[in-house]
Amino acid sequence: MPLRNTRHRWGVLSQLFHWLIVALVIVQVTLASLADDLPPGAKKLALLARHKSVGITILMLVILRLSWRSLNLTPLLPTTLKPYERLLARFTHAALYVLLFAMPLSGWTMSSARGFPVSWFGFFTLPDLVPKNKSLYAALLTTHEALAWVLAAVVALHVAAALKHHFMLRDDVLRRMLPFTTTRQGPRA
Amino acid sequence: MIVNSCAAALLATALLAAHAAAADAPAVTHYVLDPARSSLEFNFLQAGAQNKGRFRTLQVSLDFSSENLAASRLDVTIETNSVDTGDQERDDTLRSADLLAVTKFPQAHFAAAKIERTAAGYDAIGKLTVRGVTRDAHIPFTFKAATENGAPAGYMSGKTSLRRLDYGVGQGDWKATDQVGNDVGVSFALRLAAH
Repeated sequence: MPLRNTRHRWGVLSQLFHWLIVALVIVQVTLASLADDLPPGAKKLALLARHKSVGITILMLVILRLSWRSLNLTPLLPTTLKPYERLLARFTHAALYVLLFAMPLSGWTMSSARGFPVSWFGFFTLPDLVPKNKSLYAALLTTHEALAWVLAAVVALHVAAALKHHFMLRDDVLRRMLPFTTTRQGPRA
Repeated sequence: MIVNSCAAALLATALLAAHAAAADAPAVTHYVLDPARSSLEFNFLQAGAQNKGRFRTLQVSLDFSSENLAASRLDVTIETNSVDTGDQERDDTLRSADLLAVTKFPQAHFAAAKIERTAAGYDAIGKLTVRGVTRDAHIPFTFKAATENGAPAGYMSGKTSLRRLDYGVGQGDWKATDQVGNDVGVSFALRLAAH
């Protein structure tokens, strides 16, 4: 399996970034909803600490992922796409990247505004992004939660598109992001 | 018999000497806290990061003379309800029964009847009571006497640490130390006024 992307398929590293981030985003949603149901206490604190550490991990992965993307070819969109579909695809992908930055950054800033420094799994403490500020904290909490719903909506669109490509259009768009699959174009990976 | 009377004479002499020494020793000054210019802070590990808090209300009584440590005493009472970490929700949690339990234990108390000189300053040796648990404790401090507006004052500061679970601060889920560390650093900078 090639490490790098080709014009027709995502390389191993791009696939790894994609699916690792998918898994971590699922972990994030799980931790956040478990914490949401708890009253203030040690268990809630532990869940939220984990949520922050995983969030910072996603932020680091997204930075690496975009750097790798910039050093690579990007697989082409199928030629069968209509112009508006092309635009929609580009918009959806851009929105996903923006949200993958905005989610951890709004969370980190929110924690700073609350006056709670963010630690990465206890290994190191991140600098506070803003000084303590109660109303900013409240605004960022709302923002962080709203962005989570926006992310859910964009992910739903992304998944629906991938499934449409695979099952209705029967092209390689989903397959080229899956490891251990054969695509019609390009080398076997 | 002779031995006994010799011993008695020696004891009497010793007692007299001790009495004379006490009488000659400089009087200690009685100080109380100047709350506006004093702080008692603590720091703790929360979710892997250092966090800070303080107690807003405390009383300090210090009888002190660097020339007469034998007669020096320190007594500190902290109102546990005055805990302030800058976060209402966290402060309420700290006040709850599983942590400081401020309703049941409204005060923490340190009393030292023994003050020793150390290389860096002094060490107050006594008993610390937190959440109803009393343990031997010693608090190192430095003391600087000053005269301000004609009145004697003193600046007392120091730093120590204690383990919260030694005093039962952390019941139930809070016994775990992975999210809130057992070690709590304490630092104080107090201005004392002669009273």
